[in-house]
Amino acid sequence: MIVFALVQLVPGDPIRLALGTRFDQETYDALLARSGLDQPLVQQYFSWAGRALTGDLGVSFRSGETVTSQIAERLPATLTLAVASILVALVIAIPLGTLSALRPRSVVDRVATVLSQIGISVPEFWMAIVLILVFAGTLGWLPSGGYVPLTDDPVGWLRRLVMPAVVTGVVSGSVITRFVRSSVLEALGADHVRTAQAKGLTSRQVFTWHVLRNALLPLVTITGVQLAYLLSGVVVVEIVFSWPGLGQLALQAVQARDYPVLQGAILLFAVVFLVINLVVDLLYTAIDPRIRR
Amino acid sequence: MAVKDDVAVVGVPMMNGSATVEGFVPARDATVVTRLLAPEVRRQYDAALGLPVGTMLVGRRSEDTTCLRVAHAFEELSGGFPRPAGPLTSRHVRGPHGGDPRTCPVAGCVTGRSRSGNDHRPDLRGTGDRARVGCRTQQPSPPEVPVRRTRLLPLAAAAALLLTACGGGGESVDTGGGGGGGGEGGTLVAAVAAQPDQFDPHVTTAYPSFQVLENVYDTLVVPSAEDLTFEPSLATEWETSEDALTWTFTLREDVTFHDGSEFDSADVVYSYNRIIDEELSNSFRFANVESVAADGPQTVVITLSQPTPNLLERIGSFKGMAILPENAAEDIDLTTEANGTGPFQLESSDSSSTVLTAFEDYWGGAPSVGGVEFRYITEPAAALTALQNGEVQWTDNVPPQQIESLEGDDSVELQTTPSVDYWYMSMNYARAPFDNRDVRRAISFAIDREAVAEAAWFGAAQANQTAIPEDSFFYHDYAPFQPDPDQARQLLQQAGVQTPLTMGLMVTDEFPETVTAAQVIASQLEPIGIDVEIETLDFATWLDRQGQGDYDAFYLGWLGNLDPAAYYQEQHQTGGPNNYQGYSNPQVDQLLQQGATETDDAARKAAYDQAAEIIVDDVSYLYLYNPDVVQAWAPGLSGYQIRADKAINFESVELP
Amino acid sequence: MTGAPLPEPAPSPTATDAGVPSTQRAARPRWRETLGLLARNPTAAAAGLVLLAIVLIAVFDETLAPSGPNEISVEDRLQAPSLAHPFGTDDLGRDILSRVVLGAGVSLRVGFLAVAFALVVGSLIGLLAGFYGRWVDDVLMRFMDVLFAFPAVLLAIAVLAVRGPGAGNTALAIGVVYVPVFARVTRASVLGVREEVYVRASRSVGASDFRLLTRHVLPNAAPPIIVQTSISLAFAVLAEAALSFLGLGTQPPNPSWGLMLAEGRGFIDIAWWLAFFPGIAIFLTVLCFNLLGDGLRDVLDPRQRTLMAGGGR
Repeated sequence: MIVFALVQLVPGDPIRLALGTRFDQETYDALLARSGLDQPLVQQYFSWAGRALTGDLGVSFRSGETVTSQIAERLPATLTLAVASILVALVIAIPLGTLSALRPRSVVDRVATVLSQIGISVPEFWMAIVLILVFAGTLGWLPSGGYVPLTDDPVGWLRRLVMPAVVTGVVSGSVITRFVRSSVLEALGADHVRTAQAKGLTSRQVFTWHVLRNALLPLVTITGVQLAYLLSGVVVVEIVFSWPGLGQLALQAVQARDYPVLQGAILLFAVVFLVINLVVDLLYTAIDPRIRR
Repeated sequence: MAVKDDVAVVGVPMMNGSATVEGFVPARDATVVTRLLAPEVRRQYDAALGLPVGTMLVGRRSEDTTCLRVAHAFEELSGGFPRPAGPLTSRHVRGPHGGDPRTCPVAGCVTGRSRSGNDHRPDLRGTGDRARVGCRTQQPSPPEVPVRRTRLLPLAAAAALLLTACGGGGESVDTGGGGGGGGEGGTLVAAVAAQPDQFDPHVTTAYPSFQVLENVYDTLVVPSAEDLTFEPSLATEWETSEDALTWTFTLREDVTFHDGSEFDSADVVYSYNRIIDEELSNSFRFANVESVAADGPQTVVITLSQPTPNLLERIGSFKGMAILPENAAEDIDLTTEANGTGPFQLESSDSSSTVLTAFEDYWGGAPSVGGVEFRYITEPAAALTALQNGEVQWTDNVPPQQIESLEGDDSVELQTTPSVDYWYMSMNYARAPFDNRDVRRAISFAIDREAVAEAAWFGAAQANQTAIPEDSFFYHDYAPFQPDPDQARQLLQQAGVQTPLTMGLMVTDEFPETVTAAQVIASQLEPIGIDVEIETLDFATWLDRQGQGDYDAFYLGWLGNLDPAAYYQEQHQTGGPNNYQGYSNPQVDQLLQQGATETDDAARKAAYDQAAEIIVDDVSYLYLYNPDVVQAWAPGLSGYQIRADKAINFESVELP
Repeated sequence: MTGAPLPEPAPSPTATDAGVPSTQRAARPRWRETLGLLARNPTAAAAGLVLLAIVLIAVFDETLAPSGPNEISVEDRLQAPSLAHPFGTDDLGRDILSRVVLGAGVSLRVGFLAVAFALVVGSLIGLLAGFYGRWVDDVLMRFMDVLFAFPAVLLAIAVLAVRGPGAGNTALAIGVVYVPVFARVTRASVLGVREEVYVRASRSVGASDFRLLTRHVLPNAAPPIIVQTSISLAFAVLAEAALSFLGLGTQPPNPSWGLMLAEGRGFIDIAWWLAFFPGIAIFLTVLCFNLLGDGLRDVLDPRQRTLMAGGGR
């Protein structure tokens, strides 16, 4: 409902846009009738909602393809980038965050803090363009962008994935690093850790059993949030790297006022968000038995 | 010393927060308690507090918060730690021990966390506040996802439902995704700025679609690459009746569609009637057409309601008038598939590229490359990098500011040619004071077109006060406005306009040059007392407001014009379909009508020249410039010709 | 929420507020203490000073700018940094230094407005949800969840598409995106505070909800919100840049940093200074807001502070 209302609120006439600038009134009316946009909004909503429940998200105004097939076509690219970015992020964040929490105020900590602050503060597209100019342009090591399916060309797939994944991964990783640091720090300061130390456990035991496990909870949360963000499409990075993801699709749909695609995409994002929340909750119970009923 | 309710202390009844074990009396101390009660610890403890040795008390508290506060209070008392931020002073400590911690050494707090990390704290269960269970101190965590067990059930059900839907779509990708392999005989990779929206030539209006379709479909006639006059394609010759109302086209023989079927007149009749009957986006091009009929398999007769000298332009200027095989719309899905007569077949298309393969039976001879891949690269810097490092061999995504730097670059072959596009500013006749001819003329005098062209196109555009570019047969050299701020001010005064006058100028980020040019125009109008407020809109909103007449002025271009009727008629005829500004001049109407039906080229040109002069003088449109076409390709690429109408044809291209 | 009822303990009659003259002991005002502590953290102090300088630049932008930021002179376009134009000129020959100076005002205004909106609306929602719990919490937070489920960029684009572009609407769009964040942070913080002994005590002596909220809950729940404000300011400046990159933010010729960066990206390989200086300005501002946020966190969160000061356990 909200998805539908919000999309309809956006001004702009998809039919005029589809027709371009040269057309006559009969053509306009014919296309309007074909798209069903001449019907009352309430009726449009119920027919959309009814079909959406059966998995039919309608047909794009712009391309005439079904919305589900358009989304499905872009899902692999989005999933690839999101998963790769999260991996990059975690590979950066966990060691860096843990190290800096274990030695607060040390050189490692300071370097990690500065790096993560820089990662957060640099505009993504700026980093993206500079990477292209350096690694695709000057050095010529990597392709400048694009996407090929893993099944077609595994090497090309990987080479094209590196730069976008690094850009989004560095940004997400910087956010996660800060979380890892503060949650490990938090866990280290917790009373039960003090107790564990008092009990005479080795620092390794304390770390694995008492610190890491507790620090894992916020990490799971923030990773979930970041994954949801990445899956909903990193529009800017997708544009710069010509990455055919869902973010680009959604942006194009907004620009073309392609209501069915936009509604479909937003619905999907909402579902992704809910599923990730669900998974995060399930992981919570797995990690922390206290949450189990 | 207070310990928590779930830490066993010999002889002290405990209940672990649950009524079921109430009254349980442990027989052993917990390890922690044993250690705490060790003599050396007690001694240290008492000494630290400055108490007589042996005063340490052991009690138990079940309330976690109190326990904590006591701990804080203790820290405050005993150490040099700064006072915590909250009002955590001793008077807030309450409990069985009561009173001031100074007098009652209640300090320290031991929780019953076991090695497994399994903390049984039933007293906190069910408050639903995870933050207090796991970590007591609130991290100012940005997006935190709280645990909401009870809420998830209905949502999970909905998610499952929708996942089913998505899963169904996902399978089609797996089956269809493998087809994009490169062709044999060398594939040309072309970087284009955007993805085609669809492949039905009669429906789409998007340039990215036509970049592809140009190579897949044919029309009866085509504009020649050199001078854009019409030459044979699927029609080999044509003749016009005496009254100019009947055109007879003779069709090419031995032409086959990509699926192997023969091309004949029925296909032409079907294609044109599809556009007319279904009122598709190009149906306006057949406004004068009474009927399209076959006269034998190789002849098509078009009957007109009035002489239409530009009929060839109407049916051949671009692939929007493509010839499809009969019943194509029923036989295949034209939005994703294609069956044309052109040099390349549509092989596959996905969200990163469209792949064409050479059509061996093409009537003009098989193309020399094995195929073409149109790869979508939105970011110009990325497209150029891809060209320089050899990933692609051709691109039209070259912003004009790159021209200069690319001229000395050996890794790129850059070419420009004047286009048939023009850009203009238009003012709203329905809004005062822009309905006043003097005001419009004042603005026209204030604008330095050279500077606007230079700013927006870095010299790759020719300033022009009329629409038609210099290279065209219909070009008319007419330039009455030289930049003259004094005259502009005088005209404004004459019109009785009070300055500063505010003028909204609507531009769109769909065409970034409009945003750049608008800023230059704003700076040029400022000295004559006009405050330009630039409104950058996305194109959908822009078109909407244009249609509703909700603007003072807008800035846009007309692209791909081949005939003077396309340049002037729709835009300036009274009530014309694209006369958004509301211009109406009977003299212009009469001249435009004359031009539209005059079959003699010289007389036609005279009519349009005259109309153009009036349009320019009245400032129906404020014409600014004709830009160049800018394209770049790999050195050594041959057989490609850059065209003024921006049609991209790879029929005879050869890879380096 | 699992909606557990407030475990309302019977206030023990022994603990009387009467025994203590006033809950507000005559201590140093907390903000001064905070400032003092911040000053002792060199990174945060430096960040604060830089931010102060940026704000001053933003306030006195007109007087500080060496030339008119919108003065176009096509002949002088794309000049590399020189004495006349320390930051060079852009594609329309405008002085980049002047535009960066003026852009400070535009970018910061958008940032502050956005965060102010999110702060007021989000905190209020979070406060009510956290304090009253039950259905209030359910209704408000579920609405926040819906808002949060939208991808941020798309939500902002939608707001802008409905309201039209412009600085005010950009601020609103970014603000709307951050409302749920503030609501959550506030709620979580309030949940932690509302069960505190002093709140219960105050309630037991009959304080009204309003008094409880304003005198006890809000002040003590504030630290995470303050930290979040600083961090959100950083993100708001970045978000403004991203929206301008997509052509939806500030309207030209007004020089916001985001817009300059977006305009400069087409020139990044032939005239690096177009995008470099506004990029640095954004980077520096965002970095300082983040560092200040970290500093504030250290100071306002006693446990963290203890850990920091004590060097560990």
